[in-house]
Amino acid sequence: MKKKSIMHSIAAAPHIFWAALFIILPLIIVIFYAFTDAEGNFSFENILGLSEYGNIFLLSIELSVIATFICLLVGYPLAYIIAKADAKKQKFFIMLLMLPMWTNLLIRTYSIMAILDDGGFLNNLLNTELHIIGTKGAVIFGMVYDFLPYMVLPIYTCISKIPKNMWEAASDLGCSPIRVLTKVIFPLSMSGVISGVTMVFVPSISTFYISQKLGGGTFELIGDTIERQFVSSALNTGAAISFVMMILILISISVMNKFSDPDDGGIII
Amino acid sequence: MKHFNRVYLILIFGILYIPIITLIFFSFNSANSTAVFEGFSLRWYRELFSSPDTFEALRNTLILAISAATLSTVIGTAAAAGIYRMKSKLAKNAINSVTNIPMMNPDIVTGMSMMLFFVALVGILSIDYESIGFTAMLIAHTTFCLPYVILSVLPRVEDLGKSLTEAALDLGCTPIQSFFKVELPNILPGVISGFTMAFTLSLDDFVISYFVGSSNFQTLPLLIYSMTKKKVTPDMYALSTLIIITVFIFLVVSNVKSGKARRKESHK
Amino acid sequence: MSKLIELKGITKSFDGECVLNSINLYIRDGEFITLLGPSGCGKTTTLRIIGGFETADEGELYFDGHEISDVPPHKRQVNTVFQKYALFPHLNVYENIAFPLRMKKFSEEDIKTRVTDMLKMVALVGFENKSVSTLSGGQQQRVAIARALVSHPKVLLLDEPLGALDLKLRKDMQNELKTIQKAIGITFIYVTHDQEEALSMSDTVVVMADGEIQQIGTPTDIYNEPKNAFVADFIGESNIVDGIMLEDKRVRMSGHTFTCVDGGYAKNEPVDVVVRPEDVDVVKPEDGMLTGIVTNVTFKGVHYEIIVDIGGFKWMIQSTDYVAPDEKIGLFIEPDAIHIMKKSKYSGMFGDYSSFSDEIDQLSDADTAEEF
Repeated sequence: MKKKSIMHSIAAAPHIFWAALFIILPLIIVIFYAFTDAEGNFSFENILGLSEYGNIFLLSIELSVIATFICLLVGYPLAYIIAKADAKKQKFFIMLLMLPMWTNLLIRTYSIMAILDDGGFLNNLLNTELHIIGTKGAVIFGMVYDFLPYMVLPIYTCISKIPKNMWEAASDLGCSPIRVLTKVIFPLSMSGVISGVTMVFVPSISTFYISQKLGGGTFELIGDTIERQFVSSALNTGAAISFVMMILILISISVMNKFSDPDDGGIII
Repeated sequence: MKHFNRVYLILIFGILYIPIITLIFFSFNSANSTAVFEGFSLRWYRELFSSPDTFEALRNTLILAISAATLSTVIGTAAAAGIYRMKSKLAKNAINSVTNIPMMNPDIVTGMSMMLFFVALVGILSIDYESIGFTAMLIAHTTFCLPYVILSVLPRVEDLGKSLTEAALDLGCTPIQSFFKVELPNILPGVISGFTMAFTLSLDDFVISYFVGSSNFQTLPLLIYSMTKKKVTPDMYALSTLIIITVFIFLVVSNVKSGKARRKESHK
Repeated sequence: MSKLIELKGITKSFDGECVLNSINLYIRDGEFITLLGPSGCGKTTTLRIIGGFETADEGELYFDGHEISDVPPHKRQVNTVFQKYALFPHLNVYENIAFPLRMKKFSEEDIKTRVTDMLKMVALVGFENKSVSTLSGGQQQRVAIARALVSHPKVLLLDEPLGALDLKLRKDMQNELKTIQKAIGITFIYVTHDQEEALSMSDTVVVMADGEIQQIGTPTDIYNEPKNAFVADFIGESNIVDGIMLEDKRVRMSGHTFTCVDGGYAKNEPVDVVVRPEDVDVVKPEDGMLTGIVTNVTFKGVHYEIIVDIGGFKWMIQSTDYVAPDEKIGLFIEPDAIHIMKKSKYSGMFGDYSSFSDEIDQLSDADTAEEF
């Protein structure tokens, strides 16, 4: 048996090698850059210097938390309605949901911008001069629009896996339909909610494209800051911000996973 | 309740689809505007097809997606088989956690880290970043596709269990033969869906490509990004429309196929 | 018959837990040998070591006189019928059976002849092109047997092959397996937790418990002359009572001195005494060697199962005559119905029916089916 496990480790060896070289090593390099200056000397300056980006961090967290919350509020009922529809309709709705998901993010974001822009389709149609692009609302809308499917799909998967007799048992034991939902279905779909929240929150807090296009350049999020450092080749600062964001996200994911079923953990599409 | 459901569905899907439909609509605009429709024309499609950039980006995107999907499927499938048979739970968990990092991390961090890695690499080798343009992209794409491949193959390997492999060895297969003659045919659906997922993810990726890519290797998402940097003309709409339609056809075909397969299975 | 396989001092642990403790066993050419024991006794591990799926930590394994511990499974002349058949779902019946021949690069013609012969033997002619997933459990079982036999191995290993079948089918397959073994004349090594199966099919039974061999013998030996309390209890029903060997052929138990047929023990040596339930006659209290109060009577079809309290120890007795609960009865035991065993670590653990219940028996049966 020992021989066999060596042979099978060989099957996993290319992957282990790959992961060490292209996942772990780059992250070590990020940390290295985060704690060195442009000359390569050890320094805390990048990390300490991040305090000037404090407001940007707060704004990013604010917008992504609001967007995630709206996604949950809008997405949960949608997932529930789809999961309760008959099988044929379910497939159709899921396909409708997948199509925007598989359409490139840039295209989706741009299509909203084209509608909401100052001289855009909506203003043209209504003959108004609404100023939407450049507001926080527009950025939040963009995040919700772009990432809503990521919220709906895991919740839908979770609800549709709940055995039908669970509903029947609950109402048999005296639950009203509302209480079936709050006391039985919602707790059982918690792992889907956690996945959905993670899958919306992570790209929302790190986006730079949405804020660039729909924020109209009026404000900056963490993603924009990283991108700006990248464009201006200020790699040490960029690495420091990336590092802090990664830690931030790891903490929030592990906190959220505390609430979910340990067997079910992780993000699964 | 029924009424509410219907209104709700129509509302949400309406909001989801109006921007996309508007975009498709304006790609047929005869005027150079994305707000005022003046008449139907294929002008922007013609312009799109006359640009060599489009075809180069399309070619690059496909080559990259096929190579990254193939590479990640080969490495990932072997890894799934290996991970399943690992004795040490600790090693298993460690590998799984590391594998999932690119899936958990925001794309921008993965992109940044890979970029820094390649910057360091070209620094050490003292070569031009441009000269490893495709290689860098291939490595980056394979890396973020790997967790998805393993995620779709590993459950199949687990379902298959060890007994079929043992039976094959018992009946005279060498371990290699047993993998190709017995294991692979049975985990094939997982391998195929892993490949498809890797292919689509690579096709769709913008953020990581943006950080890792160099100017001499343009992909479609990068091309779209550069188009939206300037004043947008409807030719970007035309390109987007073509992409959306392709995705749509792909989704419908795969849905019909899987539906048929499922019906066949349930008839058994 | 010569020794075909020999295990010498085979020891194996998983995660620090000893599963096999110095197993010594030889298997003769052409015999039907059964490894019998409860879940976790090490029988499946022994089989897997012979098949080459596990390597022993210590000890030697000989096949036809050669040490084969380092020979990989595909090079051993043994084939296995797996617990859940392990048929290849992507191949049809014909291709499943042809698989080992293709591995050995047989010609298409030979493959056809051999597979057809096998299909005839297991009565599956006409099923060639069926997908294995459409077959019933019994049919899958036959395919698995045919596939394992088609390359003419010297030994067939069977790992609880009938465990997944229902009772009726199991009985049919038992007969069929025995017939096949007789017809082709090769060695069968059979693993089961079902003692009835073991007794009815085997030439030799190896009773295992706790990673050790408890007894090796013919089915009659094992049943009539169990070596210790474990074997006596595991094979059939037994009342196992503490006794004192007064002298050869005289044993004292439950306050009465009995004449028996065993000897060779030290004077006044404490022993375990086994009496099978069917060997006890119910008589009037005054004619009995022992007397007791009936506590429970269950109708079993052929006989009644009677639990009798004799001085606080509950005996099980099978009798065709009905007795009423709470009745006082006498028991009569013939000398040759008394079997004496040396004390072992299993003494006092089995053979008392005070907590006896059919349900518990069935539950532990279901457990053993899970064994790997």
